[in-house]
Amino acid sequence: MRDKVLMAYRSIQERRTRSILTILGIAVGIAAIVSLVSVGFGMEEAITGELTMFADLISVVPGKISGATYVEQGSFTDRDLKDLQRIAGIKDITAMTYDAAEVEFRSKRTPIFIFGGETEELGSFYVDPVGLKEGRWLRENDYKACVIGDRVANDFFDDPVHVNDKLIINGEKFIVIGVFNKASTLYAADVDPHIFLNLRAAKDVLQTDDVKYIMVRVYNIDDAEEIAEEVAETINDNHGIEDFATAITMGSALEQIGSVFSILRGVLVGIAAIALVVASIGIMNTMLMSVMERTHEIGVMKAIGAKSSDVLTLFLLESGIVSIVGGVVGCIIGVLLARIISLVASSALGIEFSAGVRVMVLLAGLVVAISVGMLSGFYPARKASRMSPVEAVRYE
Amino acid sequence: MIRTEHLTKIYRMGDTEVYALNDVNLEITEGEFVAVIGPSGSGKSTLLNMIGCLDTPTSGSVYIDNVNTATLNENQLAEIRRKKIGFIFQQFNLVHTLDAVENVALPLFFSGVRRDLRLKKAKELLESVGLGNRVHHKPAELSGGQQQRVAIARALSNDPEVVIADEPTGNVDSETGNTIMDVLQGLNKDGRTIIVVTHDPEIAARATRTQRMRDGKLLA
Ligand SMILES: Nc1ncnc2c1ncn2[C@@H]1O[C@H](COP(=O)(O)OP(=O)(O)O)[C@@H](O)[C@H]1O
Ligand SMILES: [Mg+2]
Repeated sequence: MRDKVLMAYRSIQERRTRSILTILGIAVGIAAIVSLVSVGFGMEEAITGELTMFADLISVVPGKISGATYVEQGSFTDRDLKDLQRIAGIKDITAMTYDAAEVEFRSKRTPIFIFGGETEELGSFYVDPVGLKEGRWLRENDYKACVIGDRVANDFFDDPVHVNDKLIINGEKFIVIGVFNKASTLYAADVDPHIFLNLRAAKDVLQTDDVKYIMVRVYNIDDAEEIAEEVAETINDNHGIEDFATAITMGSALEQIGSVFSILRGVLVGIAAIALVVASIGIMNTMLMSVMERTHEIGVMKAIGAKSSDVLTLFLLESGIVSIVGGVVGCIIGVLLARIISLVASSALGIEFSAGVRVMVLLAGLVVAISVGMLSGFYPARKASRMSPVEAVRYE
Repeated sequence: MIRTEHLTKIYRMGDTEVYALNDVNLEITEGEFVAVIGPSGSGKSTLLNMIGCLDTPTSGSVYIDNVNTATLNENQLAEIRRKKIGFIFQQFNLVHTLDAVENVALPLFFSGVRRDLRLKKAKELLESVGLGNRVHHKPAELSGGQQQRVAIARALSNDPEVVIADEPTGNVDSETGNTIMDVLQGLNKDGRTIIVVTHDPEIAARATRTQRMRDGKLLA
C-alpha cells in the first residue's frame, strides 16, 4: 500500500502543472463554500449577539401604539415607579425623560431630542455596546454636561462638535464631555441623533418633571412577557385608564427581527447550496479532464498486466491526495476570504462582525472536496479500465 | 503453446463490416520464432492483440497453454498478460511521467514485487539492452531506438514465455532495427517463443517460420 501511495504521489508530482491546476480547481470551489457559509454564520452570530443584549429589557411608554402611530396619554408618576419596584422578578428600573429642545452651536440652531436618565443605567444601555469616541460618560453629579451622538457631533451643525465645545440647550450652556462612536445599525436610531444628560439636568432644561420612558430589566428573560403585562396593568390601575401604558419586551421585537433573519438565513443557505453545486461541477470537470486524458496510460498499464482494480486503486489514491490537498488549500483560502468579506461588510453595513469559522464548516468543505473529487476521479478511471487495453491505448 | 481456432474479428463502421480477422487457424509451438508479414491493413496487429489478450475476438478462440482465453475473466486475462506475455508496441507506449527504470519496473509493480527488488531487476534489464547509462531518462529524453529498447526491457521484466512484437522496428532506423532483431533472436535462443510483425523481408528471414496474411486471412 505504501508503495502504491508513493507511486500515486510520483505521478502527481511528475504532472506538476496539471496537478496544481486540479488542486486549484478544487480549492476554489471549497473556498467559495467555506467563505460564504462562514460569513453567513458570522452575520447570524453578530445579529443575535446584539439582540440578546437587549433581551432582558422591557420598555414602558405612557401611550398607545397601534400600528405605526403612537398616541401619548400623559406621563408617569413617582407612584408608578414605586409600585413597579414591588413587582417580583425585576432587576432594576430606570426612569427617563426625553423631549425635543432647541440646541445652538456657533450660532446655528436646530431642534434635537434630549435624553435624560440615571447615568449609570443609561450608560449600561448605550456606552457599553456603542463606545465613546472622545471624552467620558456622564456622572451623577455632572450638571451642565452632556454627551452627544455621532450625528449631533458631525451632521447637525456647520462645524463638527468636539469635547469641551459648548452647546446652548433651551438657552442654557452645556459643556460637551463625551462623543459617541458612530453606532451600529441596531443602535443608530437611539444614539446617533441624541444628546444625553443626567436626569436632573434634563428635567431642568426641558422644564418638566415628567417621566416619559421607563426601562425595566428582568432577571429571567423567560418571565419578561408576564412581567411586561403586570407592569402595564399596575400603571393602568394607577391612572384609571385601561390602555394608559404600553410595555414592550425586547423579546417580541426579537421575534420580528428573527423572522427577517430567517429569510436572510434562507438566502445564505441558498447561496451555499449554489456554491456547493458550482464547486462540485468545477471539481468534477477538472478531475474528469485530468483522468480522461490519461486513458492511454491506463491502457498501457493494463496491456502490461495491471488488473482493473490495480489501476483503480492507483487513480483513487491520486485523486484522493489531490482532493485532500485541494480541500485543505480551499479551506485556508476560504477562511482568509471570509475574513476579508467580513471586514469589508462590517464597515459597509455598520455591523460589527467577524466571520464565524466553524470546525464543522471546514470538515464539510473537506468532505465535499474528497467525496466529489474522488468520485469524479473514479468515474473516468473506471470507464477507462473497463475498455480493452487496445481500445484504451489507441485513445489519445 | 498458442493456438487459434476460427479466430474472427469484425469491426463495424456504420453499415459496413470489416473482417480484420477472418477464420484464422494458427498454431505456434514453444520455442518458435514466427514472423508475420503482409500488407498494411491485412490484420497483423489485430491477430497479435488477440494472441496477447489485449482484445477479445468476435468469434473463435485463442488457446494459451491449452486454456481457452474466452473462458477467463478480466483478472485471469490480466494475469496471463502479466506473467506469460511480453508485448512490444510499434509506438513504444512508455509511461511518459516515469523514467526508464521505472517504466521497466512497472509490470513488476503490478506483480507486487518490492520496490528495491524491482528497481534492481529493471536496471539489470536496461543494462542488457545497452541502456545502463540511461536509467533515469524520461522517454521524451530518449531517441526512438532507445525508447524501443526500454519497451523491450519492460516486456521482459516478468520473464515471459512469449514475446509479441508488433512492428518493433517500424519506428526506428535500420541499424537500431538490426540490434532489436538481435535481441529478439537472442531471446529465442534462450527458449522463448517470439512472434513478430514486420514489413522487412530481411528481418522476416531471421525467423524460424514466416506467416503471410492478406485481408484478415492467413495464407498457406
Ligand atoms: N479499432 C478499429 N476500428 C475499426 N477498424 C479497425 C480497427 N482496428 C483495425 N481496424 C481495421 O481492421 C483491419 C486490420 O487492421 P490491422 O490489424 O491494424 O492491420 P495491420 O496491422 O496488418 O496493418 C484494417 O482494415 C483496419 O482498418
Ligand atoms: Mg499494424
